[in-house]
This record gives sequence, structure tokens and C-alpha cells, in this order.
Amino acid sequence: MNICSLVVHARPERVPAVAERLDALPGVEVHGRGEGRLVITVEDTAETLAADTLAAVNAVNGVISTALIYHYGGGALDEPLLEEEHS
Amino acid sequence: MKVSRREFIKSQAAVAAAAAAGVTLPATTQLMAAQGDEGIRWDKAPCRFCGTGCSVLVGVEGDRVVASQGDPDAPVNRGLNCIKGYFLPKIMYGKDRLTQPLLRKKNGQYDKNGDFEPVSWDEAFDVMAAKWKEAMKKEGGPSRVGIFGSGQWTVWEGYAASKLMKAGLRSNNLDPNARHCMASAVVAFMRHFGIDEPMGCYDDLEHADVFVLWGANMAEMHPILWSRLTDTRLTKEGCEVHVLSTFENRCFELADNPIVFEPQTDLAIQNYICNYIIQNGHVNKDFVDKHVNFKRTAENIGYGLRPNHPLEQAATNNGYPDSNKAGEKKGDPMASAPITFEEFAKLVEPYTLDYVAKLSKVPKDKLEWLAKVYADPKKKVVSFWTMGFNQHTRGSWVNGNMYNVHLLVGKISEPGNGPFSLTGQPSACGTAREVGTFAHRLPADLVVMNPEHRAFAEKIWQLPEGTINPGIGYHAVLMHRMLKDGKMNCYWQQCNNNMQAAPNMNEESYPGWRNPDNFIAVSDPYPTVSAQAADLILPTAMWTEKEGAYGNAERRTQFWRQQVKAPGESRSDVWQTMEFAKRFLVDEVWPEELLAKKPEYRGKTLYEVLFTNGVVDKFPYEGKVVDDRGNQYANDESEHFGYYVQKGLFEEYRLFNSAPDIIKKGHEMAEFETYHQNRGLRWPVIDGKETLWRFREGFDPHVNAATNPAVAKGDVLFYGNKDGKANVIFAPYDAPPETPDKDYPLWLCTGRVLEHWHSGSMTRRVPELYKAVPDAQLFMNRKDAQKLKLRDGQLAKIVSRRGEITARVETRGRNRMPEGMVYLPWFDSGRLVNKLTLDTTCPLSKETDFKKCAVKVEKA
Amino acid sequence: MLELVVQATGSKQGQAVMADLDSEQRKGVTRRRFIGEVLTTACGVGLLGLGLGLYSTRASSLPAHYLRPPGALPEDEFNGACIRCGLCVRDCPFDMLFLGRLGEDIPTGTPYFIARQAGCEMCDHIPCVVACPTNALSHELTDIREARMGLAVLIDQESCIAFHGLRCEVCFQICPIRGEAISLEYQHNPRSGKHALFIPVVHSDQCTGCGKCEEACILEEAAIKVLPTHLAKGEIGRHYRLGWEQKERAGGALVSPDQEHRYHLPEGLRYEHGGRGLIQEPIPEPPEAAPIPDNPLDSLNRRGPL
Repeated sequence: MNICSLVVHARPERVPAVAERLDALPGVEVHGRGEGRLVITVEDTAETLAADTLAAVNAVNGVISTALIYHYGGGALDEPLLEEEHS
Repeated sequence: MKVSRREFIKSQAAVAAAAAAGVTLPATTQLMAAQGDEGIRWDKAPCRFCGTGCSVLVGVEGDRVVASQGDPDAPVNRGLNCIKGYFLPKIMYGKDRLTQPLLRKKNGQYDKNGDFEPVSWDEAFDVMAAKWKEAMKKEGGPSRVGIFGSGQWTVWEGYAASKLMKAGLRSNNLDPNARHCMASAVVAFMRHFGIDEPMGCYDDLEHADVFVLWGANMAEMHPILWSRLTDTRLTKEGCEVHVLSTFENRCFELADNPIVFEPQTDLAIQNYICNYIIQNGHVNKDFVDKHVNFKRTAENIGYGLRPNHPLEQAATNNGYPDSNKAGEKKGDPMASAPITFEEFAKLVEPYTLDYVAKLSKVPKDKLEWLAKVYADPKKKVVSFWTMGFNQHTRGSWVNGNMYNVHLLVGKISEPGNGPFSLTGQPSACGTAREVGTFAHRLPADLVVMNPEHRAFAEKIWQLPEGTINPGIGYHAVLMHRMLKDGKMNCYWQQCNNNMQAAPNMNEESYPGWRNPDNFIAVSDPYPTVSAQAADLILPTAMWTEKEGAYGNAERRTQFWRQQVKAPGESRSDVWQTMEFAKRFLVDEVWPEELLAKKPEYRGKTLYEVLFTNGVVDKFPYEGKVVDDRGNQYANDESEHFGYYVQKGLFEEYRLFNSAPDIIKKGHEMAEFETYHQNRGLRWPVIDGKETLWRFREGFDPHVNAATNPAVAKGDVLFYGNKDGKANVIFAPYDAPPETPDKDYPLWLCTGRVLEHWHSGSMTRRVPELYKAVPDAQLFMNRKDAQKLKLRDGQLAKIVSRRGEITARVETRGRNRMPEGMVYLPWFDSGRLVNKLTLDTTCPLSKETDFKKCAVKVEKA
Repeated sequence: MLELVVQATGSKQGQAVMADLDSEQRKGVTRRRFIGEVLTTACGVGLLGLGLGLYSTRASSLPAHYLRPPGALPEDEFNGACIRCGLCVRDCPFDMLFLGRLGEDIPTGTPYFIARQAGCEMCDHIPCVVACPTNALSHELTDIREARMGLAVLIDQESCIAFHGLRCEVCFQICPIRGEAISLEYQHNPRSGKHALFIPVVHSDQCTGCGKCEEACILEEAAIKVLPTHLAKGEIGRHYRLGWEQKERAGGALVSPDQEHRYHLPEGLRYEHGGRGLIQEPIPEPPEAAPIPDNPLDSLNRRGPL
């Protein structure tokens, strides 16, 4: 299970359009937007791997660059695990 | 807001990216990430290992405990845990949890020699009840059956068992594993103060100037208390730590005055201290005159062995039947006679420094230093002890001698001054002692031998007069002897592992359990050594799989709610006890004369008489338990029986300790719901206020200068005894029953290690703890090992007159043994040290001495 | 929770690399090494037989978690001396030694152990050394406490629960030279205010690197790890000595001590040179109630009003 977050840079005037296109990609969710920047998460879906989607994000018209900030690559997340969250 | 882990990680990812980009996110995403454990429901519960009573926070997600933390708001541990507490939730998830009842069967029928097969609860209880009824038809009736319980039972589990046995089946054969643990402490409290449990509290750990440890390896057995003690030693100027033991344990690392003494000579050292105090004029005359009686105990009391043992034949005061005079008993080991202070002084006079130094093999300067700290009126001293005193053939004496020392100098019942008996188990106090699960006890310090106490209990329990059996039942060790002799035939063990825990397994425990005439039921979450030796195994809900309450060593009663469901068909002990009661009609177990006094009970089950009596079933159950934050919890027992079971049992129990007409004051508790809102309260709780130091005016509401003209401000009153005084009871040094000789030249001592709890049935199922200490090692002195040509890590055979086991030699480990003594922990089911131990007990408390027997060691 | 935090700003290309950096790198390296070793093996077989004479280019710096048995010569010398006979492994009574195999980051056929899996039990008679036919495990090692297989390092104080005040101490307990190679340092726990911290401290002069502590550490990933000594240990500048240690060794100051110091001080204050510094004397306790002097004359001759 992969979950990544990215900062996507786009021309300020094109941010709304880029957000719309990104949202349409599988496994992508737009969380926030600022002056020329968007915050998105990308995760594996049944059909696609996050890594492939990352490439697709860069191919979206209007995207200038992207920066990967966070990657979770742990096991399946529906499995309850005993953890010491506070250690 | 319920969030899945995946959503949580996504929110964390988004926050990280937003921080990098300087973008603001919607509030919900931020909140989700901030509450890292969103989706986890947190609630409090006391730790179930040791008597310290640390509180943990239990994190539940999807009916599973997924996380835990030390409770930062708990006054005992302030967020800390020991390593066992750290892994607490994992004990519930061992791969081999038992999930359905298992009965030994052959060809579809119960057979003592059959293999275990899954059965329904109905079949299990049908077979079991039939066996119990059959046994009770034999001579002796109710004494043919018994329950062996636990200091790890919840308060209401102990209370329900006590009620089923004592009120329902009219058998006093109910004893807890606390018999192996705290019985000697109890006897001494009762003999000296007339009321059970310590006068002080853990705050003594910050107030004392000097700590003296007598046979208590607090560093390993009460780890969090030890870290408090250590902190005081580090931060308080002039603080001293004296440690006495028969070998060097972990506490010696902090000791200013480390003392290794010859086994059993603690009795003599205490009498030397008394002698020193008297000879040097340090008796607190004012205190002694006002608050103390002097007595001397009966001597020549035997060693709690079987009556035909030569030592018991020779004893004149062991209380056993006298073979020369039919119907008479040989004295009473509990007896004591009044003496004067001068007579007491004369009795301790032989315990001179020279004599005791020679007997104990302790250098004189160390003994003198120790005596001086007790004698010095400027030094506040707390004495701590645990199993070194309690598991002792003179356990009640050696406990009592400690009180003698403190009473002579008046160092008691005030901050930083006092004798402090620590408990081994999480609810040795709260359950085993307070609700009356011993063979002679009723709830709240009442006893079955006292007609007034029986009448009071019968009134609360709505029983006809004469229901409660006045004879003391079988204690733990006697139960095994009676099973072996076929005089007791049905035995139900709950919440412990007595096959592994009880002494002399080869000669007593195992033959008793496997006696073809007997039917043994074991309730346990795991396939323990006991379960292996049983005929019926009942799968049991543990710890937070049920609503519970424990009482720790400082009189703190702590509650918890049910956090998760038990796996499969596991049921809690209280469910099992109450459900089993449905299998008996009163008419089957009570004689006609009792029934005639309460004809309305005819045709009713014991369950109806004992539990749907209008008191226990008084509180409705609304289908869930809700806390003050609105969180909801299940309560499987209440769901099943249709009323708030735990609340009903606790509130009925409170009629014994908190109602206006109670016989023995001093155990008052708050209402049920109060405990769910607090991290424990120290009883007596009166007007919602806890009591920190008992018997002292100003601290203890029962000692009130305003209402009692006999009490001065700040004075003490030992109100447990009718005359308000405590007893100093002289007890001499007595040699132990089995000492090393040429055939068996070494002392064997057994006990615990920090990483494992008792028989290891829980902690050994936590992989990390198992890896930390996988097997019990034989701790021995390097010279002893060299003499036997044994190297570290080599397998050795340890042999006593009763059996043999093998273990690997360890000369460098945590316990540094003196020459002539070995230590082998008992947690390891792969090497059962109780095959070696001797079933000798303190004749007063009937508690086994697990610390001394003779063995030899050979190359395996 | 496993999480990999990667911070990068970059192009499309850079990102693709980043996204799969971890697994890509692992795969790549493994494949390269595998090919390298296969080739070397192919040559080696003809000369010395399979399993012998395989040199890795990285032999002189083993991966940090591979530890050599007690008495092993410095890595380069060891690889020269070890004939890959496996006798040390055979004679280990605890089955914790292994021989390097193809594909592992260690010269094939040489002995090693991994502390987290099973540490060295430190047998008194050191059977692995005795078994060594070539002195690759030096026969000069006769006291196992002189062995230096590595050095335990409490590498992560943030996860070690002892630093949070929890009572664990498993590493301290299990240490075969308990109390000397690992000791506990007691500290006040300022957070709880009334508990002590029991901090494990490794002493490099005693630690043999047996790895029992790492093996037993109860964390998911051990907080204490045995590392090759050169990775684990800093070295003080060769010119510098610790003065207090030198003084202790010499049994006194290396340079003559000062004469007695004296100071101008207000009344009630003392100054301790080289010790506590300025000290306020305790205020004398007021005389006890009913101050009747023992000598009746003192009472009688007392001046002032009655």
C-alpha cells in the first residue's frame, strides 16, 4: 500500500483548472491550494499504482513541477496491528 | 469522528506537504492528523501484574486493543510502566488462546483418561455439576468440593465466588493463590492490629529518610515503586537504603548497607534490633505506654507438614488432632499470652550482637548500623517486605517482629515512618483479602468462626440463620493433600495456575489432581500446566475483556470498563460462577432444617437465591456502559444476565464495609460510579475523602480528636483492636525444617524475574518478553559451579528429595548467590521448580515457604 | 508504522526515481553484486573449489550488522587467514555462527553472526577459537572477556523506553558482563517528579560485542546495536589526556597542589576551594524550650530582668 503526498506547482491562474484535472485521476485527492501551489495525495487504487499516477500528475496540462513530500509504503491498512504508537 | 488508518495516513501526508508548501488545509484534515490516534478509543485500566497498581491507558480500535500507554494522570506511576506493563495488551493476543470449553472424553463420554475435546458450555457445566453433586453426597458433604481463586480476580469475581461457596454450597473450601503470597502478612496484621492491610501509602516513598528492604526485591518485583524509592535516594540528602536478603539481588545495586544473611535468621536480626533499642534506651516510652500491649506467642508449633511427619509428631502447639487424646487438639499455633514490657525485654535479651552476628553470618557493623537507624528518633524509617517474609515457615512471626520493632520506637502511621507489607498480586488486597476469599474469611475482615460475623453476613445475604458453615475450610496446601487423599473430590481453579505454583508438585499436587476419584476444572485463557492436568478446561475472558476492579497494596481500589469482547466462547469468571450457580437447586444442597426457615426458597436455584435477590440485580442495564466523554462500552455479563452485574455485586459488598450497621469499621468505600471517574481511591473513603495514613488523628477519619475525648491531636489509635492498642508479640528464632546437609548441600530459593509474571502463562506469550528471558536459569555462586565443573550456560540437574529438573547454569546474572545457595525462578513451564520445593508452611498462616529447601546440583 | 519521508524538489524524472528509490536501489545493487560474484566464482571453482577464496571488494568493511566470532583478526588479515573450513561454526555449542553464502554481503565461507538473531554466549572455553586451525580466530584469546567482536551502542535514545522512565533494563540484565559492560545510571525523572530513570550505559573497556543486548532488546527495532568497533567508537585527540583520570592513575596531582587559599568573607559564610565553593553555614537551632543551664550559677548570675 503506497500513499504519497505532493506539492504541485502550477501557474496561479491555472490552479483551478489543474485541480479539476488532478481530481479526475484515479487515487488522487486535492487537499488544498495556494498561490500557484496545490497539495495532493496519491494512493494505490485497484487498477493503478501510485507510482504510475505520479507520472500522470506530471503530464497534466498546466503542471510546472511536483515535489514528493511524504511516502507511506507499509502493509495493507485495513489490518489491525498492535502498535505502541507512543514509544 | 471515526477514521480509518488509511484516511489517517492520507491526512498526515497532506499535512506534511502543506507544511512544505505553506498551504492551509481544511480544518478536518488537520484535526485528523493532529489526533494521531483518531479512531482509537482510550480508557483507563490498572495493570494486572504485581501489587503496585500502575494505571495504563488502553487504546481500542475495532474491538481490539491496538495501543497502550502509561497513564500520565495516575498518581502511582505518572505515565510510567515496567516492561511487563509496556507489553500489557499483547497478553490477550497469544496465538493459543482457548476459545471453547474442553472436556476429557473417550467414546463421546467424559473420561478422566480421555483426550480433551471441544464441548458446549451446557455440556461442560452439566458434567461438572453432576460431579459436584455426586461428591457432595459423600461423607463430609460440602467439604468434598472447593474453588481455588486468585489475587488476580476482579473484586466482584472474588465476591461472587465467596458467595457461591459460603452462602450457597455452604462450603468454606475457598482459598486464593494469595495464600501462597500474602497469608502471613494478613495473620500478622490481624494479630497485631486487629485489622488487615498497611497503615501507610506510597507517599511514604517520598517522605522517609531511610528505607529498609527485608526480603523484598522491589527493583524487579515492584519496578515502578523502586524507581520512586531510587529517586528519593538520589534527591534527598542523607537518604539511606538498607537491603537485607539471603542473596544479592538487584536492590543491592542501590544499597548503602547491603546485608546477606543466613536463611531464617531474619527472626533473630529483628530481635537483636529490639534488644538494641531497649538496651540503649531508645524505646519511645510515651508511645509504648499509651498504645502497645505486650504478648508472647505460642512456640513449638511445627511446620505445617502432614501430621505424620516426625517434625509434626514432635510439635506440641501445631493445632493438629492429638493422637493420644481423642477429640483434642495439640495446642494452638495462633495463641499468645500477655506479658509485661520487662518480660519482653528479658525475652529479646539473648539476641546480642555477638550471638546474632554469628548466627546470621552478617558483620557486626552492618547489624549495628541497621539497629541504629531504627533507634534514632530523628530518622524516619519505612520497612518494606514481600515474599522473603511471607513465604517463610515462621512467616506470621517474622511479619510480626517487624511491627515489634516499629512499635517500640513509635515509628508508625505517619508520613515516612512505618512498616509496609507490599503485595505480590494486583488485587491481593482488593479481592483476595477484602471480599473474603480465604477459607476462614467473610467480606470486610469478618471470619466464619465468629457467630456474630456469620449472623451479620447471613442478614445481608438474606439467608436463614445457620447457613454459613462455622468450620474453617481447606487452605491451598491442604486442598492438594485432601485431593490426594480422596477427601475432596471436586476442585475448580479460576484465574491462576496452581499446578505450577503450588509446592511439592510430584508428591502432592499432581497425584491429587490426577486421582481417579477427582474432577478438576480449570478456567483459563491459555493452556497452562494446570489446564494440562485438568479434566475440564473453561475458556476465560481476561483483563479488559470484562469490567473489573482491583485493589492495590496501598488500599487503592481501581476500576476499569470492558474494552473488548473476549474471543470465541470465552466467558469471564464472574459469568462462569453465576451461571454454574444455576445448576443447583437449594433443595439439593441445603438440609431440610434450613429450608424450613426460608420455605420461599424451596425449588429455587442458587443463582436465584444468591444473585437475583433484589440487591445484586437492582441496577438495570441499558444495553451499554457510557463514560463521561460519551464513549460506549459493552458489558457481556450484564447483557447476559439482564442487569448491571458488577454494580449490583459491588453495592451488595458495600453493605459489609460501608453501611451504617457494619461490624468492623475502617474499610469504607465509595459508591460504584465514583471509581469509574477516578484513578482509584484509598480506603477508608468517608464523605468522598480518601485516607492516606491510618490510625493517626488528622489523617484517619476514625481517629477524631473532636469527637473522641480519649484521642489527642495527632495521636494514634489502633482501633482495629477493641482496646485501641497494637500488640507487640515476642516470637523467637526457630530453625527451618529442612536445611542443607551432606546429601543435599545447597539451599534452593525460588521467586520471580522482572520480565515475567508468576507462572509465565501470559508474559511468555509476548514474544519480546519471551526473548528477553526465555528460560529459567539456575543462579549459583561461581565457586559452587566450579566445584561441580559446571560452566555458565551448561545444563545442570537440580535434585531435591522430591524431584529433579534441569536448567542452565548462570553465575554472572542479576542474582549474585552466596556460596551454598542457588536461585531458580518459577515462571518457566519447561522446568517446574515446584517439583523440588517442600510443602512446608507457616503453621499460623498456612503459607508455603518457597524460599528454603535443600537440593543438590549435578552435571546433567 | 513504517514511513519513508522523502523531501525533494525536482523534475518529472527525479521524481520517478524518488518514488521507487528504495526498492530500485536494492534491486540494482543486488543484481550487480550477484553477477560479480558469479563471475568470481566461475574462476574460483577451478582454482580452489567452490566456497573458497572468494574475495569481495568490500571485504575490509563488512556491513555493520555482520559480526565476526571472538578473537577474529582485523578484517583484512582475517580474510587472509581464514581458510573457510567451518570448524568454528561446527564447534559453536549454541548454533549462532553461520558461514557466508553466495549473495550475502560477506566473503563466502567465512564465519559471522548477526546479533539481533542470536548473540555470542561467551563460552568460558571459547570453543570456536580452539577449533580454528589457522589463528584467523586468534589463539591468544583465552579469556572471553578480552574478546572484542564489536561494541554495543545505545543508538536510539528516543525509542529506548528506559530514557522515558519505563522499567525495562533488559539489555543490562542479559549482559554477560552485567554491571561492567553495561551499567545503569540512576537519574531523576523531572517529568514525573518522583521516579528515577534507569539509564543503560555501555562501557567500551568491558563490552565484548557479544550482541546479547541487541538480541534481547524488546523494541520492534533494537535501540541498542552492536557495531564494528571502528564505527561505534570515537577517539579522543591523541595529544589530549583526561586530567582527572591521569590524577587518579598517578595517585595524586601531577603538579604540586596549591597552598591553602584564604578569603575575605562575611560572617556565616565559608568557601571551600575546589569543592562546593561558597557555603552558608546552617543557622544554629534556637535553644530548646525551658533553657535551664546545667550549672545553677549560670542561671543565678544571668543579667537582665527576671
